[in-house]
Amino acid sequence: MKLGSMIGDVFRSLFRRPATELYPAEKRPAPERFRGKLVYDPVKCSGCQLCIKDCPSEAIELIVLDKVNKKFVLRYHQDRCTYCAQCVVNCRFSCLEMSNELWELAAVRKEPFEIYYGKDEDVAFLMEKIAKDNSGDAKIPADAP
Amino acid sequence: MFFPGGLFVIAAGLVYEWIDRKLVARLQNRVGPRWFQPLADLVKLLAKEEITPEGVNRSLFYLLPVVALAAALCTALYIPMAGFAPSYSFRGDLIVALYMLSVLTICMGVAGANTLDRFSLLGATRTLTQMFSYEAPFLLALLGPAIAAGSWQINEINAYAHAHPWDILVFQVFGLAVALVGTMGKLELPPFDAPEAETEIVAGAMTEYSGRGYALFRLGKNVELIIALTLVASFYLGGISNPLDFLLKTLGLLLIMAVLQSLFARLRIDQTVGLWWRLGALLALVNILVVFFIRMKGIHL
Amino acid sequence: MDNQVEARKFIVPIGPQHPALKEPGHFEFSVEGEVVTGASVRLGYVHRGIEKAAESRNWTQNLYLFERICGICSHVHATALTLGVEKLANLQVPPRAQAIRTLMGELERIHSHLLWLGVAAHEGGFDTLFMYSWRDRETVMDLLESISGNRVHYSANIIGGVKFDIDDQRKDAILRGMDFLEPRTRHYLDVVTGDRTFIARTRGIGGMTREQAELLGAVGPTARASGVTRDVRVDSPYAAYPDFPVNVVTDEGGDLAARFVVRIKELFETYRLVREILAKLPPGELAVRALRRVPAGETVSRVEAPRGELFYFLKSAGADKPDRVKVRTPSLCNWATVTQVAVGHKLADMPMLLSGIDPCFSCNDRLVRVNRGRDSELMSWEALRRYGIEYYQK
Repeated sequence: MKLGSMIGDVFRSLFRRPATELYPAEKRPAPERFRGKLVYDPVKCSGCQLCIKDCPSEAIELIVLDKVNKKFVLRYHQDRCTYCAQCVVNCRFSCLEMSNELWELAAVRKEPFEIYYGKDEDVAFLMEKIAKDNSGDAKIPADAP
Repeated sequence: MFFPGGLFVIAAGLVYEWIDRKLVARLQNRVGPRWFQPLADLVKLLAKEEITPEGVNRSLFYLLPVVALAAALCTALYIPMAGFAPSYSFRGDLIVALYMLSVLTICMGVAGANTLDRFSLLGATRTLTQMFSYEAPFLLALLGPAIAAGSWQINEINAYAHAHPWDILVFQVFGLAVALVGTMGKLELPPFDAPEAETEIVAGAMTEYSGRGYALFRLGKNVELIIALTLVASFYLGGISNPLDFLLKTLGLLLIMAVLQSLFARLRIDQTVGLWWRLGALLALVNILVVFFIRMKGIHL
Repeated sequence: MDNQVEARKFIVPIGPQHPALKEPGHFEFSVEGEVVTGASVRLGYVHRGIEKAAESRNWTQNLYLFERICGICSHVHATALTLGVEKLANLQVPPRAQAIRTLMGELERIHSHLLWLGVAAHEGGFDTLFMYSWRDRETVMDLLESISGNRVHYSANIIGGVKFDIDDQRKDAILRGMDFLEPRTRHYLDVVTGDRTFIARTRGIGGMTREQAELLGAVGPTARASGVTRDVRVDSPYAAYPDFPVNVVTDEGGDLAARFVVRIKELFETYRLVREILAKLPPGELAVRALRRVPAGETVSRVEAPRGELFYFLKSAGADKPDRVKVRTPSLCNWATVTQVAVGHKLADMPMLLSGIDPCFSCNDRLVRVNRGRDSELMSWEALRRYGIEYYQK
């Protein structure tokens, strides 16, 4: 029956650095397999939409601009995503991966949470179309424009 | 007004609260708050809206924190703050000082009993129970040096302790232990924080207080910290004669208290009472007997 | 709720918002002075309608939904679901995948028990033990993050296997983590069984005999602390447990101190298991291909969560969405032990008693039962569905 059995720990802590990581002054890098923001490589995408079928939170949508010439834009709702990486597992062409560097994803407005991925000209085309339609709600049907 | 009165004592109370929190945090391998945290807490609380719960006696609700702080600050008049002579000193002021400190605790107890809230009622019961249990041993422990010095005046006890430091420290070791642990009981520091056990009764007697009232109660507690530390240091650690002395001795006591705070689990209120009435009272009585014996024989170191 | 002046009895409500509870739940303790004379519990504050939501998602999406029933025991929920689905679809999962699932489950057990140790110490006012045990828990959280990519909700399972592999570098890291944690756990065992103030708060509190535990239906470490030898990993082994058998840890004390001891000793058993699994990790693939449509049928899946026996009932109608999933979590069984045992103890012991069963309120809220008394009828499943649809059409 001891009294004060944590005295060893307590005494040693006086001479040690605290165990706290002083974020944001010191930022430790995330581990290699960290599931951060989703990153899409449009080059190899075939438009099969297997990734979208199994997403638990409807966070990705594929907007098909031209199916034959493989012009796709992926709309990624970062705020809906649960970072589960099921889409990454489903994709047979390795178009999707979860970044381990982009994980400071907080924002003060809604706009940064809707991300459009694709080849530059495709994304630009889509942005123009949305601006022209200008109905306030960028709902694009999933088939040809 | 400034020194050694209200503002100095309040400022010193805030600094000591920070030192205590920082020490406890470092002992638990954490970082702890920055130096202005207690001041920031005070300013924030004073700026917040004060919500008066239903069913309380309104005048009591507003008055009690003020009376508590006033009592604590009054005590500062009689103790040798920072090594200088007390502002007012008269025979028997030890009793007055201790009485004023008890007024603080009683105010908190009444404040808890004032509301309809179950948690406050339980907290008030525990506060008063705890006060009844540690008051006697603590008083006896402070009486030891008083008897040795042959006076009830804090000024003179301080001078006596300064003249014969080793006398008191060696012969009244039990008294020092009881006084130190008694301070922890008085201030409701862990492991004697059953009256404001956060995980059981939210905040005990303080549950319904917010804003200004709460800020004043917390200030009262901080002032009590300074006063109790000064009393124990001046009685047992060989008197306080200059500011450096004051700093060293009180900080040393605070370090020991921080270590004791982090070592133990919280004691239940019945365990606290049992501990004090059995062990505390016994040690304090032994201390008094030793003092009588020494004085009779006139032994000096 | 009457306040009788002469009996001086009043009711102290703990929750739904209370610093003692990490999640909402409502307890009413009738108190006389400091002594508790009666206790009642009301749950349902975190009911999210997950079982209903499961019916409109396909099986893979449900994996992630069910993982999020609880943050502390998320992996066992997903494991229970996949084991059930694999049983229905008759899939032979490769042994490496089963071993990795078991490994993640055991690592999760470590993190859950260390979390519980800190929280229970905090309820008893022992903040130092809280801080140190959570600091050591960071080791296991970092390990889990480096293996899976996330500190909670590891998302390790897919139907048919696991998502990621354990390579040599991670294996070494895990072994080093175990080497660090084992002496620390030994130290905590000393503190919990030796420190006088802690023993004063835990010994003799909440004593439950073996008969009481079996009558009240307690599961998990709460039951094992009263001498009931019940552990799903031994009684009906699943995943890789047939290859890596487990020794059941029990204690005869039955009180709160025994529950501490049982959980810490389970930690030692887990360290041994983790080392064994890593030493004998079978080679092979990580997953088999699973069809989208799961054949019709009903099955039951039981796993050992850190809190006790977790029970899943799955019913499939041959589609790619489940017909019915029913979850019965271990914390639901253990509530009766608190309300029955609380009488006679002091109010100050209540938070420690509550946290002694390791409650997980989010896991609990599968069923909210409103006591009506009169006017109750028994409905079949189809009748219940029709009733629900017609109610809103009226």
